[in-house]
Amino acid sequence: MKGKKLILLSFVFLVGMLLTACGSEKLTSSEGESSKSNKLSIYTAFPEQEAVTYIQEFEKETGIDVQFVRLSAGETLARLQAEKSNPQASVWYGGPSDTFVAAVNEGLIEAYQPEGIDQLPEQFLDKEEHWTPIYVGALGFATNQDWLKKEGLEAPKSWSDLLKPEFAGEVTMAHPSSSGTAYSIYATLVQLIGEDEAIDYLKKLDKNIRQYTKSGSAPAQQTGLGETGVGISFAHDILAPKHEGYPIELTFPEDGTGYEVGAVALIKNAPADQLENAKKFIDWSITKAAQDIYSESESFRLPINPEAITPEGATKLTELEIIDYDAVWAGENRDRLLEKFNKEVRGQDAAE
Amino acid sequence: MEQSKTTRMGDKLSVKKKELQALVREPFLLILIILIFLSLLLFSAYPVWQVLKATMVGEDGLDLTIISEQLTSSVFLHTLWNSLKLGMVAALFATIMGFIFAFAVTRTTMKGKKFFHLIALLPIISPPFVIALSVILLFGRNGIISNGLLGLENTNVYGFTSLVLIQILAFFPLAYLNLRGVLESIDPSVEDAALNLGASRWSVFKSITFPLAVPGVLSSLLLVFIKSIEDFGNPMVIAGDYKTLAVEAYLQITGMYDLRSGAFIAIALLLPALTAYFIQKYWVSKKSYVTVTGKPSQGNIKINEKYIVYPLFAFCLLITGIVLLFYGSVVWGAFVKLWGVDNSLTLDHFKYIFTVGFDSIKDTLILALASTPVIGILGMVIAYLLIRKQFIGKKLMEFFTIIPFAVPGTVVGIGYILAFNEKPLLLTGTAIILILAFVSRNVTVGIEAGTNSLRQVDRSIEEASTILGADSFKTFWKISLPLMKPALFSGLVYGFVKSMTSISAIIFLVSVSWNLITVSILSQVESSRMGAAAAYCIILILIILFVISIMEFFVNGGFKKRRES
Repeated sequence: MKGKKLILLSFVFLVGMLLTACGSEKLTSSEGESSKSNKLSIYTAFPEQEAVTYIQEFEKETGIDVQFVRLSAGETLARLQAEKSNPQASVWYGGPSDTFVAAVNEGLIEAYQPEGIDQLPEQFLDKEEHWTPIYVGALGFATNQDWLKKEGLEAPKSWSDLLKPEFAGEVTMAHPSSSGTAYSIYATLVQLIGEDEAIDYLKKLDKNIRQYTKSGSAPAQQTGLGETGVGISFAHDILAPKHEGYPIELTFPEDGTGYEVGAVALIKNAPADQLENAKKFIDWSITKAAQDIYSESESFRLPINPEAITPEGATKLTELEIIDYDAVWAGENRDRLLEKFNKEVRGQDAAE
Repeated sequence: MEQSKTTRMGDKLSVKKKELQALVREPFLLILIILIFLSLLLFSAYPVWQVLKATMVGEDGLDLTIISEQLTSSVFLHTLWNSLKLGMVAALFATIMGFIFAFAVTRTTMKGKKFFHLIALLPIISPPFVIALSVILLFGRNGIISNGLLGLENTNVYGFTSLVLIQILAFFPLAYLNLRGVLESIDPSVEDAALNLGASRWSVFKSITFPLAVPGVLSSLLLVFIKSIEDFGNPMVIAGDYKTLAVEAYLQITGMYDLRSGAFIAIALLLPALTAYFIQKYWVSKKSYVTVTGKPSQGNIKINEKYIVYPLFAFCLLITGIVLLFYGSVVWGAFVKLWGVDNSLTLDHFKYIFTVGFDSIKDTLILALASTPVIGILGMVIAYLLIRKQFIGKKLMEFFTIIPFAVPGTVVGIGYILAFNEKPLLLTGTAIILILAFVSRNVTVGIEAGTNSLRQVDRSIEEASTILGADSFKTFWKISLPLMKPALFSGLVYGFVKSMTSISAIIFLVSVSWNLITVSILSQVESSRMGAAAAYCIILILIILFVISIMEFFVNGGFKKRRES
């Protein structure tokens, strides 16, 4: 009976799954569980081709076989929370430090400070020594060049420029309660001009806002596509579409800007056989050799290592007017500030 | 039809008893039921339960603050209403569109039916974000149509209207597949008899075709409604300020780092989904839709009246135009240097994929091909069990099958990690966990199609087979399955396509050894490499169309044709 066999077969398959689910080790364990392995598993928030560039270099240097999964920072955090008891990777590579701070609070990060960390500028370091900074990205304005030409305007050069009437309905930023980038903008303004003044400013800016997007990099992309005149994003998010060829001009506010610190960290309870490789990787990630690749990867991230080459076309961190951004303060005041934003800036719109 | 119904009502109890006894006589069937039940419990209900538990249990024991906080929050309630409104509008129009397509393809002599069939399948293949992107490029501020052709300034494509239109287009194939199955299964001799007795085309449609198709219509409404409120990719890109629950859930988790509130918001979607589900089941269960009785029937008289065929043809052509417009612009995007900016032709994006990203295509294909047969067969078997067999826990089984389909993928993904990350149930990092997620999340469409088909088949056909000595397996394989052919096809197509293109659940389950094509596409979109993303989509679409045509060949050629259609 051919038919019967087929049905039976598919249920043998089902039973098989049930059985494997019940603990046969060989089939269920992921690759590489020998006691000391030459492997390293990584979660990375870098875009795929960028991650490949960095990781290949590390593999060449050390001979360690690195495998990675690409996830956004928020997704990595959620995934780490869910697989807390048995993480599937050892290193979390890339993503803004505020997600790392949240992960530390959830007890998901194993404290580790790599060799040579004392060379890095102190203002970017984690005071509690859990994670390690690897790049810095400053907030900037993306402006569509075609639109500027058509309207005969100049790209905004300060926060107050954004309030000009010619930008009415043309400014796009992400919503602070859905995007870390937008919250950085908000916290930067609060630290720059004071809380009440910042709320006042955002209220005025609200009249010029075309759309509050959901993700932090969307304003830069929409600027590239001509969907909006000006977008506020991190410089590396702006430079990516610009580099692809979209007509974008990048400017930084002269009255001071905030920044995001990208980080790397060791995942708690990670596969023990990979621990040594994981530490090696983190050590490597802040070396000049590793940080020089930023200039080749076309990502325009600013290296944290002062000796590393600054990517061409990106502004050196030391030449930027950046404020003394307090990420810890920003994290602690998040709920309160967001509530204030929703109530006072968005008013009744908040419910929509 | 009416008579068989009344006699059955009277004998219902004794039939039930008889069937329970029959079940004991067939130990294999019993084992099968228990197995399926356990699998569903473990792989469909348990992961979602894990997430629900996580929202209810805080650091020190039971903690319902999140639930009460959300339920009393005006933002939550407003967002819930947004989702419901979206779901209802999308369901209504997608079902109407699907019905017209299915009717035109199965009931008329319209030209180009094969072509329209293919077009109606195309929108199921919607890789994340890409179609929404092509809407922006066509109708946005700098859109080729809105600005280039029509000279409109300052158009705004973000918001409810665009979202609903995209969803209708994206989900009408679901209704089409489902309704085509139902319309094909209706025995044409009933309609022919009415025609021969002098009824007009309209009264045949009004009093026979449509009433018999009602279960299919209702289940299409249901499927589209559920998929619309659960949809994440389209609203994420195109909804603008219009908030929906599925997106809010995702943003709570990944933007606010609040796993518990996010998970609750997502699970809250189960409520409207299940309500709709049980309303539909209750409605359908009250009537009989049997037309296939096993008595010889002849091919039906296809509609060839010009005044019916021409408008239908025009409608199908219009929809085809829209579908081709969107997908055509993706093709365009894959072959030009910079989609929307630099229109010089290039093969660079394909070269890039063939050098860098071929592994993910291979991995995706392997996993999809492994899950599809399971999705198809399991869907038909469960449909058969639900409609034809009596056993304890049937309602519960039905309930389990709908859960992973109705909650957003994010929850399914997180639930799978929570459930299967520790011994003895350690599955994370393997291919099995991905296959299981594909199966449990996509089997529902096959089940729906299967139950709709079976409702039209008089069970006396199967009873005859049993009386002649065949066991349930043989009866299923020889009698029921061939009668469910279109449903099997729907289940297979949907299962395969969704396994190839899903993203939200998978993002939590991909591992270092299994990388999937949608994850690559997403990464390309995020770094503004729209050309590469479009090229990935083209390859994806070609693979899927190729596999669908093979399935069509096997499903329609593998069984003997019961009747010419």
